Amino acid sequence: MHRRSLLKSAAALATLAVSRARAAEPKKIALWHIYARDFDMIHLGIKLFNEANNGYVIEPRLIPYVQINPELIRAIATDSPPDLVVINDPDIAGYSSQGQFLDLTDRVAKSARINASSFYKGPSTSDHWRGRRYAVAREMNALSLYINDDLFRAKGLDPEKPPATWAQVLAAAEKLTDPARRVFGFGFCAHQSEQSTFQFLPWLWQAGGGIDRLDQPEATAALQFWTDLVRNGFVSRDVINQQQSEVINTFLAGNTAFAVGGPWELPRFATEAKFQWRVAPLPVKDDKKIEASSLGGFHFAIPKGAKEVDGAFMVIEQMLDASIFPQGWNTGGILAPRSDIEIPSPNWPQAYKVFRTQMITATQRGPHPQWASLSKPLQQAIQEALTGSMKPAQALAAAAAKIKPVLAKTPL
Amino acid sequence: MRRPSWLLRLFLGLPMIYLLAMIGVPIVYNLAMSVQEVTLGNIAAFARPFVGLDNFTDSLADPIFRRVLHNSVVFVLVNVAGQVGIGTIAAACFAGGFPGASTMRGLLLAAWILPGLVVGTVWKWMFATQFGVVNFVLSALGLIGTPVHWLSDPATSMTALNIAHIWFGIPFSMILVAAALTNIPGELYEAASLDGAGPLRRFRYITLPAIAPALFAVACLVAIASLRAFDVIFALTQGGPLNSTNVLPLLSYQASFQDFEFGRGAAIGSFAFVMVFGVALVYVRTLKSEQPA
Amino acid sequence: MIRSRHVAQSVVAGACVAIYLFPLYWMAISGFKTQAEIFADPPSFFPRAPTLDAFRYVVERENMGRYVWNSVAIAIPVMLVAVTLSAMGAYAMSRMRSRLVDAALIAVLLLQVLPEALLATPVFIIFKTMGLLNTHLAVVLATSARAVAFGLVILRPMFRQVPYELEEASYVDGCSEWQTFSRIVLPLMRVPLMVLAAITFAQAYGQFVYPLTLLNRQDLQPGTVGIYSFIGTEIADWHRVMAFAALFALPILLLFMLLQRQIVSGLTAGALK
Repeated sequence: MHRRSLLKSAAALATLAVSRARAAEPKKIALWHIYARDFDMIHLGIKLFNEANNGYVIEPRLIPYVQINPELIRAIATDSPPDLVVINDPDIAGYSSQGQFLDLTDRVAKSARINASSFYKGPSTSDHWRGRRYAVAREMNALSLYINDDLFRAKGLDPEKPPATWAQVLAAAEKLTDPARRVFGFGFCAHQSEQSTFQFLPWLWQAGGGIDRLDQPEATAALQFWTDLVRNGFVSRDVINQQQSEVINTFLAGNTAFAVGGPWELPRFATEAKFQWRVAPLPVKDDKKIEASSLGGFHFAIPKGAKEVDGAFMVIEQMLDASIFPQGWNTGGILAPRSDIEIPSPNWPQAYKVFRTQMITATQRGPHPQWASLSKPLQQAIQEALTGSMKPAQALAAAAAKIKPVLAKTPL
Repeated sequence: MRRPSWLLRLFLGLPMIYLLAMIGVPIVYNLAMSVQEVTLGNIAAFARPFVGLDNFTDSLADPIFRRVLHNSVVFVLVNVAGQVGIGTIAAACFAGGFPGASTMRGLLLAAWILPGLVVGTVWKWMFATQFGVVNFVLSALGLIGTPVHWLSDPATSMTALNIAHIWFGIPFSMILVAAALTNIPGELYEAASLDGAGPLRRFRYITLPAIAPALFAVACLVAIASLRAFDVIFALTQGGPLNSTNVLPLLSYQASFQDFEFGRGAAIGSFAFVMVFGVALVYVRTLKSEQPA
Repeated sequence: MIRSRHVAQSVVAGACVAIYLFPLYWMAISGFKTQAEIFADPPSFFPRAPTLDAFRYVVERENMGRYVWNSVAIAIPVMLVAVTLSAMGAYAMSRMRSRLVDAALIAVLLLQVLPEALLATPVFIIFKTMGLLNTHLAVVLATSARAVAFGLVILRPMFRQVPYELEEASYVDGCSEWQTFSRIVLPLMRVPLMVLAAITFAQAYGQFVYPLTLLNRQDLQPGTVGIYSFIGTEIADWHRVMAFAALFALPILLLFMLLQRQIVSGLTAGALK
């Protein structure tokens, strides 16, 4: 008896010791992200979370941007997923429709820190598949126009009144193009990748078209507009092999007078723009007056098989906290996906105002589980038209034919 | 020719077992995938719907795939000719032993240790139509009137890619050929010099036959390396414009990791197998002519 | 007369080498430019206002020393494994002539076809099963396999160039097969083995996919993963990428320059004999 109780208390002591050790040793949350620059707000979020001593600690793993999908797929294939991952918005539906992300609907509904109704519609739509939520937006961005004030003034244009319609874009692009000074009037990205889809969609929407109706005259009007700009030499032909950041590089170098770009480009303007610049909303098509922009941004998702689901969700809550976003904008040009967040005296105030307004008209891509199968035919059509190997209508009809069976299987 | 001893068998067996375990197993994994329908939903399971050769026939029916297959063949042929050709000439020249030859050869190797993505990016800048240094120099020399759209014209993009990739591969061929040159007995050259043979004739009738087996081996390796080239192309063009520079490994990557069609991705990768099998058969045939040891 | 011809050769070769190395120069000076100047038109052949900012950024923020150390810690074992196993295998292949060798050769060629991107998933499974994830050993084993396959093809014809009479003489002197291989054949293969060592080292130093997949922990990752991570989200800070690449390539370049007497001068000796 005596001996037994001794054993018992010894066992109790041992248990206590173990639980002590456990308390002292916080559980690790594997977070895979792509943010190499240390000013990105994710690093602030990680720091705040790890300092909170809430029984968890984030173990971040930095993955090169283009490798995030391959690495995540390898992790799924080998049954060794992280607890939390960031994912680009058009890719979410591919994973969630196949059950590879956890359903977060109930957790978000119950959360004291996340208010689902505060999210903008676009990112919220991207997060859902068939009415359930599988991801939480980390940020959002949209495309607007970057204007080189100095080049505008040099050609007698008023940068206070940036081009607001397609006709004005065309006229300004023509006027600003100056081969002697090696300046192109205008710039956008038509790279053979998701980036050209992202950049073309606003024009498609402004014309009243959609990716499910590429064989309609609205789509042709949009692609014809791009094609004319390139064919007339107002936009460099190199845009078909330039990524978005490379288009902005030519803008920053003073070789492009105005260009389409996102707010993530802003951090380098301070050191690299040797001229006066401003941001203007994307134009509207003169006869349609539809305001539109593309919505982008990365989202948090918890892969199926994650070990620390509770902890991972706590990280999401931390990353959506209002305290994160001032740094997000002021250092990285990142906008909150929550409409209830105002940043007091923001950096680049003029750009902030324009991009915030542009968010209202920004629309997400899809969501569609085979988004790439819709996007790639469009990319090809863009390249065919811009290189002159096909007429815009012809190229778009071919794209529409490829998209049709995909949409027949899973509609948008 | 003597009977293979136990030592030789061991020598051959050890690396082969190692290779089969480290690469053979993954290859079987991919071949299995190429005859299955693999989605994000079932990729972790091993039992997946068997679809026979559908992934292969679907690929063959796709005009983009046929274009990519054609690109791959052109790319491999041009790269073998360019890399091995220039590499051999460079190796032969440097073997001449003029002052500074070995330092220069050491410098050439520098190009080869850089990550492909960096190499591709540097070439992308150099080939840019406006700010690119290639057009700048060509027009300064009066060789071109208007700038060439190197990477934004489907007609020239493959040429640009070939130039960049041959540049990247030359040191590899050069140093391997140089190693083969060292084993040519010097007496052969002395005899030829006495016969009054010039350097070109000496190269043609002594050097070339002596290093032919090594050249074949190098050519095979360059062919295979070109067939799986990825990083440089990814940085230079990502296969564009209009898939004019897309090749099998890149298309396979796009199918798997952008379209999430893993079976098709594996099938596209496996087409390279058939091509290498052809190369390998030719290579092994050339060995038949080797003098018995 | 011979002398002046040599000088002329040097000049011509020097010019060719300079042209060849121009892209490297372009990479290195990009590290001294601002991002905007890289894309300026017309191009600047010398940085207008050279700045060390990119280099400073990389050195301050990135643990260059650790990256280079990890890369070397992977590359040296790969080199040793590759040279040892391929010397053995290639010697056997050069001395045997049978269908088995043909089959082995075809297999070796086929084993090199698939890109790492496709092999990475099953390779991950192998090392997960072995419990070797997050070790340099896993990366070394995976990378060496590629290097061995390639070493076998390269060394086999070179082993054949070793005259068989030398071996027979050695047997007559009473040497065993192992002694003949290690004391007679291998020393004659010094140059090809060194070349293979240099090549496999450089290849392993530039490996990217296997270390990325097999090593989750940043403190174990080699410099290539560091460089690729720099090519960030929407923007790439190219001047920093180039500064990083230049710093990463520099130690190896120095090593090659130091060792080139051993590696490369051996190459010249043979042809002059």
